[in-house]
Amino acid sequence: MKTKIGFYRKKLNITQEELAQKVEVTRQTIISLEQGKYNPSLELAYRLTRALGQKKIEDVFLLNSR
Amino acid sequence: MVIAKPQWFVRRKYGGWGLMPKTWQGWIYSLIMIIIVLGLVNAPLDMKYKIVIILAAAIFFFIDIGSAMIRLKDEREKIHEAVAERNALWAVLLVLVIGISYQAAESAVKGNYSSMDWFLVAAVFVALVVKAVSNIWLDRKD
Repeated sequence: MKTKIGFYRKKLNITQEELAQKVEVTRQTIISLEQGKYNPSLELAYRLTRALGQKKIEDVFLLNSR
Repeated sequence: MVIAKPQWFVRRKYGGWGLMPKTWQGWIYSLIMIIIVLGLVNAPLDMKYKIVIILAAAIFFFIDIGSAMIRLKDEREKIHEAVAERNALWAVLLVLVIGISYQAAESAVKGNYSSMDWFLVAAVFVALVVKAVSNIWLDRKD
């Protein structure tokens, strides 16, 4: 699943490590998410969306994109 | 009471089981643990007391580190850990079954089962029980 995590993270000017600490995952997981290699649980998707300052999950995670 | 915090460590992936220090707090904890263990080993105590105290310290650190491992929150790491542990278990079970089969065949040829290592059989049986109990718990949990 493609995501706009990297886009919003850079917009907020925070590092992968800082985002990882905010949502309580490892930096490696943030890297995998940004590369679209890992699909998070609903809970993690919500936490990431909030941490990136967005209101809708679908603004961050792009379903039906391969 | 637990001391080790999960955010101080990362999961050990490539060199065995346990945790690796990630933050300075994790490194301090590891250093203190080593100092305590080395101190106890070299302490001028009667051997029987020394063994008991070292065992108590080892149990404490095992529980403390184990608690931190369980509380590691990264879901992707947990999934990877589960798959890696499953693969390791299958490898161990394969070796155990090969070993038990060889011993059973050898014993059958000799007509004497006293040379079988029943500890290996017990290990496989314990694995079966733990898997069954885990599945029962997981089915009830969600």
